[in-house]
Formats: sequence, C-alpha cells, structure tokens
Amino acid sequence: MADPTTLDAWLIAWLLLPFLAAFSSALLPRLARSLALVCVLTTLAWGVWASLPGRQVLFELIGSLGVQLQLDGVAAPFLLLNALVVLAVLVDSWRQPPPGPFLLLLMVLLGGLNSSFLATDLVSLYVALEVVGITAFLLILQSREPRQLWIALRYLLVGNGVMTLFLIGSGLLYLYTGSFRLQSLQELPPGSTTLAVGLALVMLGLLTKAGVFLSGLWLPQTHAEAPAQVSALLSGVVVAGGICPLLRLALLLPAQQPVFTWVGLASVLLGLVYALGDGDLKRLLAWSTLSQMGFALLNPAAGGLFVLGHGVAKGALFLAAGKVPSRDLSLWGQQPLAPALGLTVLVGALSIAGAPPLLGYYSKATLETLPLTGIPGLPVHLLGWLLPLLMVGTAAVYARICWLPLGAGWQVPAPGGLLLALVLVLVGLLAPLLPGGSPFPSTAALGKGLGVLAAGAAVEALRRGLRRPVTALGFRHRLRLPNLESLIDLLGALAVVGAGLQLLLLRLQPVSTDLLLVEALCLA
Amino acid sequence: MPDPFRLLEAMVLLTALVGLLGLIWRRNLFLRALALDVMGTGAISLFVLVAARSGLRTPILARGELALNAVPSIAWADAIPQAVILTAIVIGLSIQALLLVVIARLSRLDPLLDTASFEALVIAAPPEAAGGRRA
Repeated sequence: MADPTTLDAWLIAWLLLPFLAAFSSALLPRLARSLALVCVLTTLAWGVWASLPGRQVLFELIGSLGVQLQLDGVAAPFLLLNALVVLAVLVDSWRQPPPGPFLLLLMVLLGGLNSSFLATDLVSLYVALEVVGITAFLLILQSREPRQLWIALRYLLVGNGVMTLFLIGSGLLYLYTGSFRLQSLQELPPGSTTLAVGLALVMLGLLTKAGVFLSGLWLPQTHAEAPAQVSALLSGVVVAGGICPLLRLALLLPAQQPVFTWVGLASVLLGLVYALGDGDLKRLLAWSTLSQMGFALLNPAAGGLFVLGHGVAKGALFLAAGKVPSRDLSLWGQQPLAPALGLTVLVGALSIAGAPPLLGYYSKATLETLPLTGIPGLPVHLLGWLLPLLMVGTAAVYARICWLPLGAGWQVPAPGGLLLALVLVLVGLLAPLLPGGSPFPSTAALGKGLGVLAAGAAVEALRRGLRRPVTALGFRHRLRLPNLESLIDLLGALAVVGAGLQLLLLRLQPVSTDLLLVEALCLA
Repeated sequence: MPDPFRLLEAMVLLTALVGLLGLIWRRNLFLRALALDVMGTGAISLFVLVAARSGLRTPILARGELALNAVPSIAWADAIPQAVILTAIVIGLSIQALLLVVIARLSRLDPLLDTASFEALVIAAPPEAAGGRRA
C-alpha cells in the first residue's frame, strides 16, 4: 500500500479530475466523450477500492479547520452508483450527444456528487450540494421549452431556498460547537432550543435534496418532465447526494434514529399511495423513488447498499421509459416492446420489487436482516412485520408495469438501460461469490421474497378487478388523491417538515405559539 | 437590557423567516426570487454575527504589525465563518442570476409572472381521472 500522503494526493487528483476534464472539454469538444469516460472509470475504480472491507481514508485540506473528506464504507456504494448511472447515460448518448453542453455538465455533476459523498463537514457539503443542484438545473433546461423552464425554475427555487435554511442551520450549530464537522455534533448537550433548530434545518436541507416525505414533493413532477437521460440521473443518483450525508448523520447520532425512522416510514407510505394511484409511467417511477428513499433511512447501516440497488434499477427504468411508445399507463401493454427494451423494464421493475436472483433482492434482504432500531410507540417486532408489508406495496406498484408483451427484433433502443439491467442480473448472480458479499439465501428467505412478489401481484390483480365497478359507481373522482404539487404546497411542506423535525428533536417539549401558528397557516 | 448578541441573532433569524414567508406566499415569480435573496441576506448576516461574537477586529495584520500585536488580549473576530460565507455569497449570487435569466424567458409567456399561469403548463391530471369524471 502506498504511504498516506501519496494516497491523499491521488484522491485529491481524482476529485478534481471531473472539473478539469469539464473545463478541457469546453475547449476541445472532440475529446469530451473520452474525458467523461475516464472520469467515470476512475470513479468506478475508487468505488471498488473503497468497498473492500477495512478501507477508510480520512483527510483534511488546509489543516484541521479546513475541508474534511472521508472515503469509507459509507461512501463506497454511492461512488459505485454514481459511476454506473453516469456510465449508462454516457453509453446512451454516445452516438448522438444531446444538444448543448451536456457532456460538460455530466462531468461536473459526477464531480459534485463525488465530493458530496465524501464531505464530512457542513460547509463542504453545502458547496457540493449547490454544485449538484445548479448542474441538475442546467441539465433539465436542455430543450428550453416553457414547460422545462418552469420545472427547472421550480427545482432551483426549492433547492436554493432549502439550502439557505441548511446554511442558517449550520451557522447555529457552529455557535455551539465551534466547528462545522459532522463529528462535533456527537458532543452536543441535549435539550437546547437553538441546537434543535440548527439540527432540524440541516436535516430539512438534506431530506429535501434526498426527496424524502413531504419535503420531497418537488420530486415527481421534476423527474417526470425532465428529458429521459436527465430523469435517470436525477432519480438514480442525484437524490443519493442528500441520502449519503443523512446516513452519515444517522450513524453518528444513534439517539436521533427515531426521527429518521418516522420520516422514512411516512415517506414510504406517501410514495406508495401516490405511485399506486398515478396513471403516468414516469410519474409512477418518480413517486416510487420518493418511497424507496424512505426505506433507505429505516436502517442507516444498510442504506447505502439499498440506494445502490435502487439507483441502478431506477436508472435503467427511466432510460427505458424514454423509448416506450406511450407513457400513459392505461395504454400500457397494448403495443409490444422491442425485446431488449422490454427486458430492461422487466429486470429493473423486478429488481426494485425484490425478485431473488437480482441485486435488488440482496439490498432488500440486508435492510431486513441488519438489526433495526425500535422507536417509541413502535417496537422492533412490529417494525419487523411492517417492513414486509411495505415491500408488498412496492411489489404491487411494479406489478403495474410488469405485464408487457414482447415483440420481435434485435434493435436496442436504450443501450444504457440494458447495460444497467445486465449489471443488476450479473451482480445479483455473483453476489454470493464476492469478497465480503452476502451468503447464498436460505430456502426460507427465498420463499419469503417470492411470497412478497406474489402478494404484490395479487394486490395488482385486485386493483384491476376493482377498477371497473369503482368507476361505474362514480367513486373514482371522489377517491382521487389531492394534488400536492403546486409551488405553494412544496414550499409550505418545507415549513411543515422543518417545524415537525424541531418538535421531534425537542422530544415534544411545549413549543412557542408562533411556530404552531406558522405551521397552521402553511397547512391552510 | 437584553444581551445585544441575542437581540441581533433574533433579528437576523427574523429576516430569514420573513424571506421564507415571502417565498411561500408571493404569487409573483420575481418577488419570490427577491424573497429568496432576503433569506440569503439573513443567512449571511448570521455568519457575520457569529464571526463577531469573539471580537470585532478582523484577524489580518498589516506588515510590521505582527510584533506589536502578538499579544492575545485583542478581541479578534472569528475568521472561519467569515471565510466560509464568502463562498455562500458567490453561490447565492450566481443562483440569483440563473433564476432571473429563466424568469426573463418565462416573462414572454406571461408578463405578469403569475405563478398559477406557469403551473397550468404542467397539468397533472392523469387520463384515468378525466375518464372517471365523465362516468
């Protein structure tokens, strides 16, 4: 092994590489594709290196008060995910890159996300997440239609508003700890109001970036209206930029795990209900992202692997969704899909639903087997029962898109999606053989996985059977879910979630009336 | 007399809150972007205030001053929040610029910049629901 300083130098060079490459590609557009490929492959290599057991590098730039970065087992699955999704998007656009500075932005996004996975101090995190936010905004703006202008503007307004709150939160925490380090939060005395406000604002910022619960209401419309490749990036890996620091925070503050569990459960339920009720393919996928991010928060030790499994599958699904004849789910399955495209959709959907030989099965199994933390009012064994039920819900969502006829032909409309689907299958098959990987699943575990799938399919069959009588009785529009996606809802939800987090963090101590008033007004 | 630091802190947080409320309730997109800037001003003032907690003098020494002022009795300001907030100011400025560019483009559609008229661009009515209403 090289000595620590050389290792640090290599790491810094790798972190800066995407930005340098992006700059050079502006000067030499012909090199752009190969430069992007180099950035992706180095990220993949570091991700593999970091996921070997026992690897941990902590390094500081400009002394103990400067930037602090940490490459460890928490960041490793996120780096792999970043490399795989960006690689798939690159493969998809290899023949004909989208107009504008697409490849340049792709490299900046890759670099910004890498930094956000490694950063362990609040200010570096702020800068990295803002870089990711601005890049994602510019990527959405690809075609400059009014629709996309509006979606991008909405994304930036919500994103920057919440990051300003994050900054205020970190300022308040600095008042107490005298440091921006995440580790310094461990030494805090409990019970102070300023502290609870600071921590709540920081968590609100990260939850919003991760697309969790009400603070993630911006997500469905943004992910559905963006161009297919950008949707794959946003839903596959950009949300992970918020999840990774949240997992770090949850691992550092085990006493606050009930907050994460409550928010996670609420997010899972909200996402499932809306995904089951939506009639548009891309919106179904986006709502399901919102629910899956909730799962990741339930068990921070297994969250990284879970997000990896989800992100690869979601990237494949979104890349494929850009090539299907119609996004309307009431017409789904009427027109046969090309086999390569249909198989991509099928593998992606089955993996997220948790079908045994695929990567998604392993990430779900780890989520269930690692010890869960009980929360007040919901003991561990109840949580152990609830989790499979919620997974049945996920299976029911994906059962909606699993009935699809395959046509004939050898054309591959979405090569990047197919690549990700292959990764899902291969890693799933090889998982028991990898060093430090999971053992072969037992018959009981396999049976449970298949049972969840069957129950999901049964729910879908029931839904189809009920659809006609419900429509005939006129229940349908009375049962319609409320639309929560206007700008005022998104911004009001931020205030509500922020106030709720403060309440939870103060352990339901009495709060000042003006806070409650603000909350009530926002709800109205 | 209340602690002036506490008083200033409360006022700074109030500024940010006013910005947030403006961001939520204004219908005009331009005013929303402006409210975001007010929030940013709140965040920046908070960091300036945090830096001034230990003293007002910026820890920059003029040439030749070093030997004279090596005494620790001077109340120096905290340099870390000051340095950190510079980055945030630059980011805030560039985001404002981007927002205004997009708002200028959108003003061709609706010169009044009413939020509702842009939300109508992306109507989230699923086709099934429309069918249900007719039934």
